[in-house]
Amino acid sequence: MRLWSWGFSAASLLALGAVGCDQAPAAHPSPNATAGTAGTGMTAPQSCETPSPGPAPLHPLTRFEYDNILRDLLGDTSEPARAFPPENEVDGYRTNANANHANPLLVQSYLTAAESVAANAVQSRLQSVAPCADGVDSLACGRAFISSFAARAFRRPLSAAEAQPLSTVFELGNAESYAKGVELVIQAVLQSPQFLYRVDSLRAPTPETGAIALGGYEMAARLAFTLWGSVPDQALLTAAESGELLTPADVEREARRLLADERAHDIVRDFSEQWLDLSRLDGAVRDGTTLDVNVLNSSLRLSLTHFLDDAYFGAEGGFQRLFTSPSVWLDDTLADVYGGNAPGQGFTSQTLPEPRAGLLTQPALLALLSHSDQTAPVIRGVFVRERILCLPVAPPPPTVNAVPPDPDPTATTRERFRQHTEQEACSGCHRLIDGVGFGFERYDQLGRYRASENDLPVDESGEIVASNEDTLDGPFSGAAELAERIAQSPRARDCLATNWYTYTFGRQEQPEDACSLEQLKTRFRSSGGDLKELMVGLTQTDSFLYRPAMTEGP
Amino acid sequence: MSARISRRNVLRAASGAVLALPLLPSLGTRAARAQAEAAPKRLVTMYTPNGVIHDGWWPTAVSSESEFQLSSSHEPLRPYKDRLLLLGGLEMKVAADGPGGPHQRGIGGLFTNMQLGEGVFVDGCGRTAGWANGVSIDQRVAAVIGAGSPVASLQLGVRATENDVQGRISYAAPGMPLPPLATPIDVYKRVFQNFLPPATTPDEDVAKRLLAQRRSVLDAVAGEFAALDTRLSTQDRQTLDAHLTLVRDVERRLSLGIGDCAKPAEPPVLDPASEADMPKVAELELDLLSLAFACDLTRVASFEISTALNRIRYPWVDSLGEGHALSHSGASDADAKAQLLSRQNWHSSLIARLFDRLAVVAEGEGSVLDNTLLFWGNEVSMGTTHTHDNMPFLLAGGTWAFRTGRYVQYTDSTNNRHGDLLVSILNAMGVEDTTFGDARYCTGPLSGLV
Repeated sequence: MRLWSWGFSAASLLALGAVGCDQAPAAHPSPNATAGTAGTGMTAPQSCETPSPGPAPLHPLTRFEYDNILRDLLGDTSEPARAFPPENEVDGYRTNANANHANPLLVQSYLTAAESVAANAVQSRLQSVAPCADGVDSLACGRAFISSFAARAFRRPLSAAEAQPLSTVFELGNAESYAKGVELVIQAVLQSPQFLYRVDSLRAPTPETGAIALGGYEMAARLAFTLWGSVPDQALLTAAESGELLTPADVEREARRLLADERAHDIVRDFSEQWLDLSRLDGAVRDGTTLDVNVLNSSLRLSLTHFLDDAYFGAEGGFQRLFTSPSVWLDDTLADVYGGNAPGQGFTSQTLPEPRAGLLTQPALLALLSHSDQTAPVIRGVFVRERILCLPVAPPPPTVNAVPPDPDPTATTRERFRQHTEQEACSGCHRLIDGVGFGFERYDQLGRYRASENDLPVDESGEIVASNEDTLDGPFSGAAELAERIAQSPRARDCLATNWYTYTFGRQEQPEDACSLEQLKTRFRSSGGDLKELMVGLTQTDSFLYRPAMTEGP
Repeated sequence: MSARISRRNVLRAASGAVLALPLLPSLGTRAARAQAEAAPKRLVTMYTPNGVIHDGWWPTAVSSESEFQLSSSHEPLRPYKDRLLLLGGLEMKVAADGPGGPHQRGIGGLFTNMQLGEGVFVDGCGRTAGWANGVSIDQRVAAVIGAGSPVASLQLGVRATENDVQGRISYAAPGMPLPPLATPIDVYKRVFQNFLPPATTPDEDVAKRLLAQRRSVLDAVAGEFAALDTRLSTQDRQTLDAHLTLVRDVERRLSLGIGDCAKPAEPPVLDPASEADMPKVAELELDLLSLAFACDLTRVASFEISTALNRIRYPWVDSLGEGHALSHSGASDADAKAQLLSRQNWHSSLIARLFDRLAVVAEGEGSVLDNTLLFWGNEVSMGTTHTHDNMPFLLAGGTWAFRTGRYVQYTDSTNNRHGDLLVSILNAMGVEDTTFGDARYCTGPLSGLV
């Protein structure tokens, strides 16, 4: 990811230009038209009156989805996908369809998981997975199992051609025992493309043109994957079967039902992990505590999960709260580091004596956006601009010395990083970045509040410039004021919506996505920043409700 | 190095060892078979990021090609000095332009000699690129010498966590990168786990039945692919065709079994992201590679230590700076330089560890090391410039193909191509191509090697 690659100082700077930082950075600097980050520079075509969905490629299941599905289908909580190779990431998102294809390691991992999951299911849960009453013909039980289990795994009823191979393999196993027949069917289903890929587009028998409305089962699958990261439950499949999942209103009704389920919290966690690049916290060492790094980082991640849960699903939740809530969730480990009360067990929401304002001042995020031995104003500034405001920052030239200045007991971090803005060659870009990053100087590399640094007063004044939004631009004092401004910013809301869109649809935005993006942003804005409405809104876009026609012949 | 051990005796010796892994496995009759045939050749491609400190990489006191002192970076390889071939002055022309930034172009071209495609990955300088547009040399070689191996090839990674073009060194085909295994247990499972279904007995009839069942299951899976096929777009169909081909290939290789090679004890579970675990992850991955080579379970591997834009510290060699940042500071900063040199030294020590293990396994008249070639490269020459001239390239290991024990400096600008080096490596591995990757950056085998 780009964010982490940034250089930090310019001690040995050679001649260079300020690479366009003085211009308004609304559009991504990339020469590639399809390569924008989660930008907001896309303009809608003149009319969105006819449905205009973006592309609908095959999506391989992510590891997150795979494990969720096994839990929901078979009650298997062993999380076998933890052993799968990681997804390739685009813009930090693992859901990208075009960057992810099968490889030998993944295919072998599928086989490993299928065999161990199937063995486990029949050994420990045969009666719940594939019940067969005494005296009933095992072949009949097998047929019933195939039509129920495979249909849920494939997210739709099987065609005859799809049922036949499973029947064959069941009969082969059934010759040994009923359990073996079931086991082999599970193995085959878990390695079938109808299971391993999200197939949103199945060709109609007749030639297609324009936007194609999704069928009920395809809609059910999109809903479940989008809001649960899993397969449809029986209620969704029933709605699909009975034709009650075809209109936008049907879809919205089901979306609200799904959002009320615990699994919707998982999708928020998975999205946020990628949006914020939280896996970078794993193994990250920060000076200032003797706690085991894994113990601390694991508590920090859980703390952030609690915070996000509250912002999305709490009674007072919403975009405003996401950026301004004073709450920090602490367990005993974190209370030891950050102050507050040790709750004894689990986490409690607390308001610490110092200023804390929402996501940007959560200990986990501040520790993530730090060097091991000092704060990282540049990383923090780039993060806010790129990830929160969708303002891509132009690059540093390769010739700069990117070593952060050494900690110096006689100076503050701000003083040591100051040369960015003093050297003319650097200042073009760094005035965009550092002005934001310096606003977090009250929080050290662990995200602890500090009144002073090296016994010197901390200067937490900052400034946002060239954001393309008048109410966002201007000086501010401290992270809380910055956060308050972000909480009011239409650009920041649009940016979050765009990030959700990229994550959900698993691809970089294309020109065809303009109408859908506009629908999503409009809905989110008009909801007053209701985050659950944002998630419902994903299901009300053209890209969700339709797919493009397949133009080439069968 | 001195007294080589027969494979059987190694097994006996190792059985009492207190290592996390036995030093070497049982090879049983496979050893006899292997010795009757020509010894297999093996290839390792190795990558470390962000260039090197040249003053401390290249040999010193050079009086001739074969008379020189190893630099501090290669000190751990002193016992293997006569097996090293240091190649100075080579230019990686393929990385000079094309899509992407210098780190991206470098890592993409290093083992493919192909430029990157256009794409969506953003580098540290805001430039974008896709995947490399060609097969990597390890995979080209694996397609020939690894076709009969139970494991086609191994991709090993140590904190190589950039899951985009900057974190991939191995390509099965243009635009088809292979992800690295992140921890020893992952390597262990890839090499040893699937040859029989889990929880089986060593009973041969049982094993045969289980393999037959697996085949039937995969036949059913193939039936599901066929049932879906006609209803997909052309592009989606190609995606699934490639997937099904892999299913069949995995099945075929798993049916080969691991012969008489004793399954080693499971390695400990280590954290792929952990700074504290990092040295052990690297060491045990290489130990498992030595087992896989010695057992002839695979003949090709790539080994990747972190990625270009890493922020990784190496406290075990007193390097508390962050990798990429240090490299930008480079030789002008004494402390950064010392840290980078100690990292280079550690990287060499990993090669020495692998060689120590390969050198003691007898094979034919020599050792497994005699039949293993390692090529160590980097995506840029040095972190301060990000250029691709005078690349820090090192060949090491077997002596069958190249005159080793030398430091060869290429000064003729018409004969300094990285692409030519790749052709020479291909030829050394028995692949008789005269070009590799982009023909514009390749004229044939590199002179001065044999």
